[in-house]
Amino acid sequence: MLEFAARQAGRFALGLVGAAVLATAISTIASPRAPGLAPFLEAAARRLWAFVHLDFGRSAISGLTAVDVLGLRLPATLELVLAGGAVALIVGTPLGLLLAAGPVRRAAAPLMQIVTAAPVFCAGLALAYGAAHLLHWPLEVNTAVATAAPIFSRDMPALKLAALPVLTVGFAGAAAVQLALRRVTAEAAGEAFRSGLKRLGLSALEIEWVYAVPQVIAGLLASAGEIMLALLSAAVVAEWVFHRSGAADLFVKSVALQDWNMTALILFIFAGLAFAADFLGRVGAYALANEGKS
Amino acid sequence: MSAIDTAPAPVLRSFLRLVGWSGLGLIAVAVTLSDFLAPAPAGASGLGPLLAAPSTLHPFGTDLLGRDVLSETLHGLSVTVGRALLASAVAIAVGGLFGAVAARLPRAAGATLRAAMGVFAAIPALLLALLAIGLTARLYAPLAAGLAAAPLAFVRTHDRVAAQRRSAHAEYARAMGIAAATLLRRDLIYEFRDTFATVAARALAAVTIILSTVSFLGFGATPPARDLGLMIAAAKTSYLYAWWAAAFPALALVVLILCARLAAGLEEGERP
Amino acid sequence: MSDVRRILEIAELTVAKPGGGAPELDRFSLTLDAGESVVVLGETGSGKEALVRVLGGFADRTDQIAGTIRFGDGEARPAAKRPRAPIRIAYLPKPSPRSFVPHVGVLGQLTRVVARKLGSPLASAGEELRLALERLEGAPAPALLNVKPRLLDPVCMAWGLLACACAQTPDLVLADHALADLGPKAVRTLLAVLAAEQKRLGFALLYATGGLQPAARLGGRVVVIRRGRIVEEGDAARLASGHAHGYTQTLYKAIPRLSLAESKGRAAARGQPLLQVFGLDLVATGRREGITFELRRGASLALVGEEGSGRRELVRAVLGLARAPAGRVVFDAVDLNILSQAMASRLRRRVAFITGADDALDPRMTLWDTVDEPLRAHLKLPRDLVAGYREAALKRVGLASHDGRRTVASLGAFDKRRLQVARAIVAAPLLAVVDEPLRGLDAFAQTIMREVLTDFRAQQDSAFLVVTSDFTVAQALADEAMVFKDKKLVERGLIVDILRSPKDPHTSGLIEAVTLPGLSQNPPPV
Repeated sequence: MLEFAARQAGRFALGLVGAAVLATAISTIASPRAPGLAPFLEAAARRLWAFVHLDFGRSAISGLTAVDVLGLRLPATLELVLAGGAVALIVGTPLGLLLAAGPVRRAAAPLMQIVTAAPVFCAGLALAYGAAHLLHWPLEVNTAVATAAPIFSRDMPALKLAALPVLTVGFAGAAAVQLALRRVTAEAAGEAFRSGLKRLGLSALEIEWVYAVPQVIAGLLASAGEIMLALLSAAVVAEWVFHRSGAADLFVKSVALQDWNMTALILFIFAGLAFAADFLGRVGAYALANEGKS
Repeated sequence: MSAIDTAPAPVLRSFLRLVGWSGLGLIAVAVTLSDFLAPAPAGASGLGPLLAAPSTLHPFGTDLLGRDVLSETLHGLSVTVGRALLASAVAIAVGGLFGAVAARLPRAAGATLRAAMGVFAAIPALLLALLAIGLTARLYAPLAAGLAAAPLAFVRTHDRVAAQRRSAHAEYARAMGIAAATLLRRDLIYEFRDTFATVAARALAAVTIILSTVSFLGFGATPPARDLGLMIAAAKTSYLYAWWAAAFPALALVVLILCARLAAGLEEGERP
Repeated sequence: MSDVRRILEIAELTVAKPGGGAPELDRFSLTLDAGESVVVLGETGSGKEALVRVLGGFADRTDQIAGTIRFGDGEARPAAKRPRAPIRIAYLPKPSPRSFVPHVGVLGQLTRVVARKLGSPLASAGEELRLALERLEGAPAPALLNVKPRLLDPVCMAWGLLACACAQTPDLVLADHALADLGPKAVRTLLAVLAAEQKRLGFALLYATGGLQPAARLGGRVVVIRRGRIVEEGDAARLASGHAHGYTQTLYKAIPRLSLAESKGRAAARGQPLLQVFGLDLVATGRREGITFELRRGASLALVGEEGSGRRELVRAVLGLARAPAGRVVFDAVDLNILSQAMASRLRRRVAFITGADDALDPRMTLWDTVDEPLRAHLKLPRDLVAGYREAALKRVGLASHDGRRTVASLGAFDKRRLQVARAIVAAPLLAVVDEPLRGLDAFAQTIMREVLTDFRAQQDSAFLVVTSDFTVAQALADEAMVFKDKKLVERGLIVDILRSPKDPHTSGLIEAVTLPGLSQNPPPV
């Protein structure tokens, strides 16, 4: 267990280093230097050194340090991803299990193909249309100034404003969750050990409960990185569609305005989030389904 | 029932594949003939009242500038399809082929490439595409989308081929003096010849989503060449009261992605 | 026999698959008393699988079942009703990692089975299992079983399964090809222990098998079954003696026997050296006492030993697939270890493999492509010539009637095995490495495989390097042998000499393992 965790931690660290190198390469573009490869490498090395010392440079738009700007914007995105992730699990888990093991499983694959064929931005717009016309909710789709209504609040209007982006991210995440669940359930179903242990005398329920369920949960955990990716990209689209001022929205604007220090930092944070989810998921999966001595 | 079979029945499966490919065929016909099929040329404005609801004259209505949405959707579809084809070619070449070759490189080189691609695969493809466009120009959006979709394909192909390379039969083949080049060629054949249509259709679906999203965010097609994502973005300001200007392009986009996915044979990608 | 408890009474049991065709099992009747053992002997598909399925209570949903079964003192009930047995039945399957959950230790899973069967808590079931393992003479310690199934060696797993069955204090043990894939020596030990446990616990034993070794070793009754019907039923000794049905006689005749007669030997033994091994060490001991031997062109050498005794490591080192800690290997007058990749692979073209591992062929390739591979990879030949060689080779192994466009993945184990031989024939190798070629095949397939291999050896002048745990295989394919134990060479020489007077007790153990009681006196087959 420890050895596995250490190896995964190594992978995680290596991934972070890779992401840091990528981020410095991007932010080096913004730093003044002579043309040519050698000056670029030199500048990149300097940037990497600064990066290690947590100096991420200044935003070209606001002139503030990139960390300060991100500090203002990141919480909104994290809230969105967190709430979206909760929705994804709440919606995706029963959906995945139902579609994988329920009576409709044969029709499930085509059905899900149709449902998930809509890109996230189309789904978000459709949700907004429905909310506006059926529920008569206030919307921020076309407001002039981007704001970020707090998600975890008791204020009803603010909750209504926040609900749609959360649902958009949540549904995108739910698609990833149910896909991972269906895949791992199908894998677990194909295992020969079911019939092997049943013949030896275990009951079907016992096999499912003691051996198959941990395997399925572990499979879901092992896909945590993938689910995180889906949530993050959905967050980009949701913040743009619903005019929320978060880090993802900031990323789009930074790229558009060529603010490379900001871009690099956000990219690094997002990659770090994905790597962290992947790491935690894998270790959790191992703890759950690999307790036997090796 | 102990064994759970999640795959649809084979008949349904092949039927859905057929539906997918015929859909793609129809879309291809519509795209090639878009100039003849569309009532109006691309970008022709003021053809009717602004934001007119669908009617017999304008079956899909008109948009903010009085453009015929039917014609625009057809033209937009052809732009989207053309760019998506280019992007999926890039994704397959860089992701698939390169991944298969990298799995046969000497161990250190292969592992380094795999690790580097792993870093890229941990960043949402959408952000990668945005970044690549931001670093170059909007003109290269299809290339960027293809490149952004490549890391995941690379990682998957690499891992599959690497597993083949480690397999017992590959070891026996090497022990009997079968050259490494022969084994690589064989892996490429089995990875791509037999599954090329599937791989291509799956890549098409993936890059179409990225491309249209990028366009929607304003990083893709530049007017006058409007693709579906850009059309939806332009209709966003008015769609709450004039749904048709956004709904029909979105519908075309969804149908395109759905057909590509069905053509890929309901494969939803294996475990990374 | 009136004082003995009747355990099982099967009457007119018929099992058929839906959609017509001949029934898998046709009006099969059998009785079994406590303490008695019956060996059901038949080839794959003879109906013994269906019998075990119905008795074990895991018949397929689609099986159409007729006839009655009476367990113990209960009533005779229709078999189709899946009657709940009023007696304890323990199932003893073939040790396969696939029948266990891959990520949990085997011991824990077996404990759970015992707990379930005895209706006891896990802790006491664990204790029962531990005691059962300790009672079995020669069984590994329980801790050794506490590893994931993939890492557990099949013999250990077989011990665990046997202990699991015994710990259930069963009335009836259903052995389903229980020891099919193990080496002869392990089979002999395990069968002896099974017989001893049967005597102690007094259970009835029904042993379904395709191999003749259990039939010869367990004694008791043998039921020979073919195409769902009983061909013959009788005492093991009588069936072996030759006073039996024609089908049974052919079965028993095909049993491989060791021959003590001087083999004819091949004139090629004085050819040029093909493979020279100097001081090869399998374990890094630091001592300089490695293995040195020479294989001449057209000669043959068997490496005999049990699983894990070091034969395979030796072959891998000899072929340059893995580096041995010390020593030098010269193939066809060239040192393999100093060659470049390209040159080494050029030399390796003259080597062919035939192994008992089913993953030795690329499952994606078609049958024809597999056979063509050596020709296409190394030579530029016209298409029709390639097809000619291929056809001839396939005919010789008996695969000519198969559709050549089928993929290897769709073939059964026996077909894959023969396909490997066909590929080797086409390659016309200088050296053929044959590694446990009969593993996992039933007795009938083994007989044919033996014939195919001896035919291959007779037709080509390749040198043979045979890896096996079975002296009959060694004798059929080689003249000389080296015997290994625990990565060390214990004996070497002409096989006939070794058989006549084995010097090491380990060697005599291996020889006894394939000397079946009451059969070896029979004249050796021609």
